[in-house]
Amino acid sequence: MAKKKKKKDGVKIEFLSKLRLQEKAFEEKLDLIMDSVKDENILVLEEALNAEEKAQLIEKSMEECDEDFPGVEFSGFDSRENWFERILASITGKEKKDGLLIVGSSDVMEKVKEDKDAISMIAKLE
Amino acid sequence: MFKKLKRLFANLFGKKDEIKLGIYGPPNTGKTTLANRISEEFTGEEMGTASEVPHETRVVQKKEKVRLQSNGKEISMNLLDMPGISTKVDYKEFVEHGINEDEAKVRSKEATKGVVEAIKWLDKVDAVLVVFDSTEDPYTQVNVTILGNLEAKDIPIILVANKTDLDDAEPESIKDAFPQYNFTKISAKEKENMEDLYKKVVESV
Repeated sequence: MAKKKKKKDGVKIEFLSKLRLQEKAFEEKLDLIMDSVKDENILVLEEALNAEEKAQLIEKSMEECDEDFPGVEFSGFDSRENWFERILASITGKEKKDGLLIVGSSDVMEKVKEDKDAISMIAKLE
Repeated sequence: MFKKLKRLFANLFGKKDEIKLGIYGPPNTGKTTLANRISEEFTGEEMGTASEVPHETRVVQKKEKVRLQSNGKEISMNLLDMPGISTKVDYKEFVEHGINEDEAKVRSKEATKGVVEAIKWLDKVDAVLVVFDSTEDPYTQVNVTILGNLEAKDIPIILVANKTDLDDAEPESIKDAFPQYNFTKISAKEKENMEDLYKKVVESV
């Protein structure tokens, strides 16, 4: 059954450092993201997601979609690996995660403009 | 890495009789209109219903044994019209299109399942047309995610800038946003430049 939304005075923005995130498995990060955005917070991670992880984020948000939670809006800057780093990552399994991810419920966050080097977002206060 | 090697060996030693060509993109970019054009041209039948209401296609639509011919070459393929991929599905959006609330909620649930199904198919397609609405900003996380996943799996990609018949269409902005991919611009609705697309499909796969 869908949880009744509480009226909030503002939007809480949470920042999570690279240090805090590096100990967590991706599934844990995904749960942490979903818990936070479903609580109508905006989460800023000091880490980029790769394409496969972004697809998993979309899948997870679709699976949890209901009348009160319409899904997520996310944006960010990805690390740009050179060819040597890409080869190294495919051998060692450790890829460069430098970058940034901003994610929130699409009820709360709205993308205004995004390109490779700049993002602008609006946090909606309802 | 393992997936890439597997694909490389499959390409070297096993020639496929039928190519699975997926049509991907966000909702309302004209994927079904494009699928209908291709299917109509090479089988004489349309595939699905196109609509201005988002998420009209909520399950994968398949057309088997489509024999696409261009430039003296022919390929046999299964054409797959995918549900539009988005990060959000709000039932209120369907209500705004005149659908009653109960039906909108059902449609919304079906749409979320469609998005998940389309993502799961990313592992099973052999080549992909990623369809863009030329009047919209192409640099979105949905497009970046689709392209990144296909690239990681070494799946051939053609970017299709659709709706070039509209006054505010800017197909070149798609090429500028993702310059590393094969590109063509068309109007599936007006059947413009379809031959260039067919030529690129035959060359790519």
